[in-house]
Amino acid sequence: MSESKIKNIESIYENAHKRLFFRKRTFCPLSEPNAPQIDYKDVKLLSKYISERGRILPSRISSISAKKQKELRLAIKRARLLALLPFVKQ
Amino acid sequence: MSLYECTFILRQDISATEVNKVTEFLCSIVKDNDGKVLKNEYWGLRSLAYPVKKNKKGHYVMLVIEAEQEIILELQRKVKLSEDVIRNLIIKIESFDKKDSIMMSASNDK
Repeated sequence: MSESKIKNIESIYENAHKRLFFRKRTFCPLSEPNAPQIDYKDVKLLSKYISERGRILPSRISSISAKKQKELRLAIKRARLLALLPFVKQ
Repeated sequence: MSLYECTFILRQDISATEVNKVTEFLCSIVKDNDGKVLKNEYWGLRSLAYPVKKNKKGHYVMLVIEAEQEIILELQRKVKLSEDVIRNLIIKIESFDKKDSIMMSASNDK
């Protein structure tokens, strides 16, 4: 067996190992083509992305892209100012 | 001229006719200075997520305005002086939908 072939096999094994721990890839639900527009008036949408206590969920949990998370953050903060969403829930 | 979206929360203990009066007063500030009021929405008496100036509920009014920046500043000054308006949010927008906003349909469901 040539050296390159051995390397090839090794890499396959490595990838197989990786695949075991490979988590299902998640996509940003707000970047889809027919996704709803982020707006401070849309309380129903925004309330999906706040925690039980009223904090904004980190994007690593909600799997939202950085671009959309920025928009979302602004929308949530505006909604809070208008008392549509709470700052803290008791 | 640019587009602005203004949302105001009015005191809970004023009547519907008084809400109209305040809205007309706010619109008149814009109209008298060559501005345009493109959309006027009343979302109804909604409960607030937290008390604002000892109010548990509030009348929500939203206007979409096309006006110069000075008029918006004047509007903001008048709003701050007004005792009926407890909260206000004035933001610049790129475009707006002529249809009723989500809030209108949500309040109709109730």
